[in-house]
Amino acid sequence: MLSPLSWSGLFNQPLFAESARKQQKHCILLWLCGAPSQFETWDPKPASIYSGPFRSIPTPIPGVHFSELMPRTASIAGKLSVVRSMKTRPNEHFQAIDLLNRGADPRAPFIRPTLGAVLGQQLGQLDSPIPNFILLDPCPEGNEFKAFKAGNWAGWLGAEYGPVRAGGEFKIPDVNRLADMTTEDQEEREALRRFLSKKFENERRSASARAQDAAFARVKGLMSCAHLFDLEKIPAKDRARYGPGMFAQQTLLARHLVENGAPFVMVANGMTWDCHVFHHEIYQMLVPELDNVIFQLITDLEERGLLDKTLVVMMGEFGRTPWINSSRGRDHYPDAWSLAMAGLGVKKGAVVGATDPDGVEVVEHPFDEKNLFATIFTALGIDPYALYDLPGLPTFHRVEDKAEPIRQILI
Amino acid sequence: MAESATPTTFKSELVQEIKLPSAVLDADLDETRLYAACLDRGCYEIDLESSKFEKIGAHESYASGAKLKPGVLITSGYDGTILWHDLRNRRVSHRVQAHRFWSWQLALSPDGRRVASVTGQYLAGGEKYEPAPETEPSVRLYDASNGKELGAFSHHPPVLSVAFSPDSHHVAAANMMGEIRVWETASGREQARWTTPDFTSWGMIKSHHYVGGIFGLAFAPNGSEVLACGMGPMRDPMAGNGKQTWQKFAWRENPPRKTGEIADQDRGNGLMECLAFHPSGRWFAMAGRLAQGKWNVALFDAMTGALAHSLDAKMRVTRALFNRSGDRLMLCGAVGQEKKKNEKLPFGRIKIYRLDQAS
Repeated sequence: MLSPLSWSGLFNQPLFAESARKQQKHCILLWLCGAPSQFETWDPKPASIYSGPFRSIPTPIPGVHFSELMPRTASIAGKLSVVRSMKTRPNEHFQAIDLLNRGADPRAPFIRPTLGAVLGQQLGQLDSPIPNFILLDPCPEGNEFKAFKAGNWAGWLGAEYGPVRAGGEFKIPDVNRLADMTTEDQEEREALRRFLSKKFENERRSASARAQDAAFARVKGLMSCAHLFDLEKIPAKDRARYGPGMFAQQTLLARHLVENGAPFVMVANGMTWDCHVFHHEIYQMLVPELDNVIFQLITDLEERGLLDKTLVVMMGEFGRTPWINSSRGRDHYPDAWSLAMAGLGVKKGAVVGATDPDGVEVVEHPFDEKNLFATIFTALGIDPYALYDLPGLPTFHRVEDKAEPIRQILI
Repeated sequence: MAESATPTTFKSELVQEIKLPSAVLDADLDETRLYAACLDRGCYEIDLESSKFEKIGAHESYASGAKLKPGVLITSGYDGTILWHDLRNRRVSHRVQAHRFWSWQLALSPDGRRVASVTGQYLAGGEKYEPAPETEPSVRLYDASNGKELGAFSHHPPVLSVAFSPDSHHVAAANMMGEIRVWETASGREQARWTTPDFTSWGMIKSHHYVGGIFGLAFAPNGSEVLACGMGPMRDPMAGNGKQTWQKFAWRENPPRKTGEIADQDRGNGLMECLAFHPSGRWFAMAGRLAQGKWNVALFDAMTGALAHSLDAKMRVTRALFNRSGDRLMLCGAVGQEKKKNEKLPFGRIKIYRLDQAS
């Protein structure tokens, strides 16, 4: 019999847990914060005066080239959907990070939940021991991303939909039951704590009590799945395949977590892609790592039968300028940039949108953040235009203005 | 003209500015012409009297090295090749695929017999993005007359800079992690190896990886010291605002010993990319990019290390050259590309300063 006090009760039932796992949809966001250059990844312009030192290479899709820094990804281009015509507005990191994580401009004082919070709510299981929104971000700093991280990720959905943060230096602490405490003792203490907390919440109408409850629930869930966050428990040959860098290892961990039921995992690594100085000197390292990471992740998901249940999104907050600054770096550029997706709900081998020969302007099918969010929700089978039921708040939709998804890449 | 208020033994005046289509990565000169390797892949000959230029060849990626022998321009590129351009009949006489990755820098021995090219891709080799070990020799030596390979030396990539000793008997190369190695050119025997930690950053703010390194290397005229330049460590390497830095080392000592460095009060912030000795050997120039401070080009007393003169050239300088008489300083590099859509303005620059000793 299920105990009403058991947080992970349903998932302790093997048949239910297995059934839920089979039906589970997932999303992995490779969050390339700092804004990667479209020229050195998805939309090279080798004939342009703005071209960098890297050449372009063909993909299996006729007429489509990627940067020579991405040979492995180019080889699986037929499994990806690439959008080469993103056109957004903010030119500064914080505003753009906020926009590309929430899908709409800010409207103070109301705080729209981030993509991870929405997907955690929509795809997650209330009773699942594994967190519904996991942020793997090994870099504790990150400039504007650090400021964003300190903000409210869950917005009006409530604290229980915020991320559990882990990765690198962020080991998950204090998730082991004390040696001198039995499981029964722990359940009893938790029941008492919840009773007192609920009483406090009812009497004071306290949101902080609700947030504290959410935190306790999360820790309790984590106690049962902490081992899933331990990279050392993943076979060494898998770790070697992904490569030694922290971003690569965290992406492997994301795959491992998805394999074990996590609905949404976001992988970040500070604001690495913001190379105003030493642009090509660093991209010679960053892009090959990303190239291998994408190849390994997509291949792994496919081999495990997970790619048709998992949407992988690869993007930053904007692109980089065609022109090269006096430090031979590329600066912020929201006017024309690229991203890619693969897996659940999106076509294989689709390339949509185009920029002019110098990559200055979008010349075909411009898309913005609303189109993008409508695409992600549609691909995952989530109504993009659903109303939020928010008593006392204005009317908000999951995607505002009935913005169209990018139909050219949707199945 | 742009001069600092720093007490000087020189006066400088901008006397000529030449605009090239694209940024200059390296250059060399004879009495009347300057030869430039550029970002647009082109190798240019520039007539200094008329400021007219002609493209005489091209690489398949950035042209990164340009060294002049009588009648021959030797260039290297990010395509990993070294090209020998016959200047009389304007054709490539030899082509060598020196590396699988970029030729970061090219050096010609003072006796004109050897060229050295350095390479190496920065790839993640560890959790903290320590550079991975080399997959091909990072330093290659060729006969400057016919492109025949004379040696291949091992170093830890990426190897960014290379220089020959004044007697041409030794070649030094330095990498992103601040490690300098010296070999005997004839035998290929390694003669010295040491590391300075003062040119490399590990990102704390935006990014967890390494950046920086020794971008310029030069032997002192006495041959017993090696100078290195770059910039000091930063918490946010992407800011490019480390301290302008040079250091010199007595490389023949065991272990090699640091014998001098730029004085703290003399320096601002920004990447220093090149070193050049004045023909007299009494001064050396260091130049690069200005992030914060007053200058991006400075002359230092070669003996004492004291700042002798400085100026802000209002451009990123990647190569500094003195003319034979030492009264002209030629600064090669670039300004930023114009952000004007549908208008491609030249952004390569060569600025020539007249130098007058003030005392």
